[in-house]
Amino acid sequence: MFKHILFATSATEACDHAARVAFNLAREFGSDLTVFHVMGIPTRGFSRTMVDVRTREKVEPDEEYSAWVCEEIKTHYSRELEKVPGCDVCVAVGYPHREILRQAREKRPDLIVMGGTTGSDEDSPYRKILPGSTMLRVARAAPCPVMVVARPAASFWGGISSIVFGTDFSKASDAAFDYARELSAFVKGELHVFHAVDIQKEGIFLAQDMVDARLREAVNRMRGRYGSRMEGVDNWSVDAWEGFPPVEIVKYAREKHADAIVMAHHTRTETEEETRGVTLGSVLEQVIMRASCPVISVNRHRKTG
Amino acid sequence: MAEMSLCNRRPVNDEETLKALLSDTGGKEYYKQMESLDVDTDLLWSTISKTMNSRLKTWLSLCAHCGMCADSCFLYRISDRDPTQVPAYKIQSTLGEIVKRKGKVDNAFMRRAMEYAWARCTCCNRCGLYCPHGIDMGVMFSYLRGLLYQQGFVPWEMKIGAGMHRVYQAQMDVTDEDFVETFKWMVEEYEEDYPGLAVPVDKQGADILYTVNAREVKHYPEDLAEAAILFHLAGADWTVASKGWELTSLAMFAGDWEACRLQVQSVYDAMERLRPRRMVGTECGHAHRATVVEGPYWAGREDGLTPVPSIHYVEWLAEALREGKLKIDPKKRLKVPVTLQDSCNYVRNHGLRDIVREILSYIVEPGCFRDMDPSKEHNYCCGGGGGFNGIGLYRAERNKALITKRDQILNTGAELVVAPCHNCWDAIRDMVEEYHIPVKWSFLKPLVISMVEIPDHLKPKE
Repeated sequence: MFKHILFATSATEACDHAARVAFNLAREFGSDLTVFHVMGIPTRGFSRTMVDVRTREKVEPDEEYSAWVCEEIKTHYSRELEKVPGCDVCVAVGYPHREILRQAREKRPDLIVMGGTTGSDEDSPYRKILPGSTMLRVARAAPCPVMVVARPAASFWGGISSIVFGTDFSKASDAAFDYARELSAFVKGELHVFHAVDIQKEGIFLAQDMVDARLREAVNRMRGRYGSRMEGVDNWSVDAWEGFPPVEIVKYAREKHADAIVMAHHTRTETEEETRGVTLGSVLEQVIMRASCPVISVNRHRKTG
Repeated sequence: MAEMSLCNRRPVNDEETLKALLSDTGGKEYYKQMESLDVDTDLLWSTISKTMNSRLKTWLSLCAHCGMCADSCFLYRISDRDPTQVPAYKIQSTLGEIVKRKGKVDNAFMRRAMEYAWARCTCCNRCGLYCPHGIDMGVMFSYLRGLLYQQGFVPWEMKIGAGMHRVYQAQMDVTDEDFVETFKWMVEEYEEDYPGLAVPVDKQGADILYTVNAREVKHYPEDLAEAAILFHLAGADWTVASKGWELTSLAMFAGDWEACRLQVQSVYDAMERLRPRRMVGTECGHAHRATVVEGPYWAGREDGLTPVPSIHYVEWLAEALREGKLKIDPKKRLKVPVTLQDSCNYVRNHGLRDIVREILSYIVEPGCFRDMDPSKEHNYCCGGGGGFNGIGLYRAERNKALITKRDQILNTGAELVVAPCHNCWDAIRDMVEEYHIPVKWSFLKPLVISMVEIPDHLKPKE
């Protein structure tokens, strides 16, 4: 389940919370851990020049520079590294989402751990080249689950014993369920299956009778769809609440003292406009920004081989 | 004088030399060594005697110094009409002088010539259009680059780029295995959205052999996926070659004639091996010039043609849209002001101006397209052509060279620049970074994908 963890980091404070979780996980489960940092984004007509994502300077990286950045990362994570000796630190140059996905394809990790948004300011090197968030792009295409830790509150973590799985009954949600179940069985924890009924449809609030009907339908659907597939999980429950879905999921997770929220991220065609507005894909994004525990995005059943 | 370790007349033929050059960050030591590099004047003159054809000789002697070429050159125009930026002066004071002196020139002369060849001419060939005698300084500068390369007076990145072609048959350190693996990876990433999406490798007798730019493989492989998606949606019978897949030629920019030949030959070998009906290259300008227009001559092909008919991506795309193989959803057409960057290498120099505009007529809402002034074959270079984009030594000059295009774009009021050429795309990207202008820029593939209708039988089933 956690044999190999790929921690993709901007090596800045934005990823410190994610780092805490990644290192804790690796220590708890004895995982191999790769700390991976995309140190620069190509610039200047894809010459040898790159923009260093931390210093924002234009540099021409060579082996010495890469080694220096690796050392910087080791210094940044020196305390954590003491707890997880032998972890691999590596760097690359390129578009961050692409290089993270390339690492994931090469190293076949069981889990990718990432921080939340890094570059909200206009000058951020992350914003200059490709619009949209690195995290969403990785979550969209990753061959394995992606754990995102966006808030400090999401990283004070004593382990995994309660898992919330949020579903919208899509095919991608089925894959997310399988992962949530496997994870619950692996840690011998509780699994709480949850669906949020959106009380707004095109800006109009639904009548409560209709909401109630939908809640009943959702609960029945969850029981039917997942109830018979709970192998290895002794303690599970099913719930449906109404409201603004991302917020309901977060509130539900808080009530269940969840240590992780597992969700599908199945909008694969998000554009810049869509990811910034409130659309399907941003349910996951909203949950990530609000959750008080790590959020694991699962897009598809794990590819083997 | 002892042979220099980094800057010398030897081409880069192995990985070890390539790595040594790469480890000399910014080419610092390389350029230092260049200051002491000998000029082999006998070799220079014998090369000129053997290779300078009558057209070049005629052009050099025919030039009336009338100055008509001056205003045609965007570098002259942005340099306060500096007379040393007049194309005729630039070539006469370099190549013309070498010929006049029968090759007896020194190190300082050659270093100056290097600066003229790579920082004062992008080989956009616009001057040739305005010279009353039809003298094309861009062609002559390409020739001069060959002489300079042979003597070792070539910008560091160009030496490396040409070396990459010699070692990897690609402009970057991308191996054949990397190429196939990356293409398959991209197809895997998108196959859930496009069921049945595949990349046929080394298929014999396909309609289309698709060739790419190594940079797509290295940095933005989404481009490969996008190509696959559009071929898939159009129902095209296509393939890629596991060897001979690289369309581009930094060797051409570097003036490394031998590497030019080796590179295009690798693509022609793939054509001979797989016998497709035709070859379609990616959205790249210089690559089309290298492999389709000039390459047959480099490879000594008597008919001056590639082994199978070869077309630019815009030609294929226009055909697919025209014939209804790809259908655009009219609701999704571009509704913001859009302009087009005409690539020198396939618009001015290969006549594809109307084809690109035909594509825009399908994808841009009527009334939203705004041509630059001047445009089509008269359009200016993006400012980064001919290798200019990639050379650190001339970064300041290149950034200044972007001003013409920047102002042309701003004058259209466009929010989006369609740039179906890697070099132009890069230059505009850098321009936005350098001058903070409020425009977006794009290749054609992602734009078309965002608005193409997916036939029912190709839609994913949930």
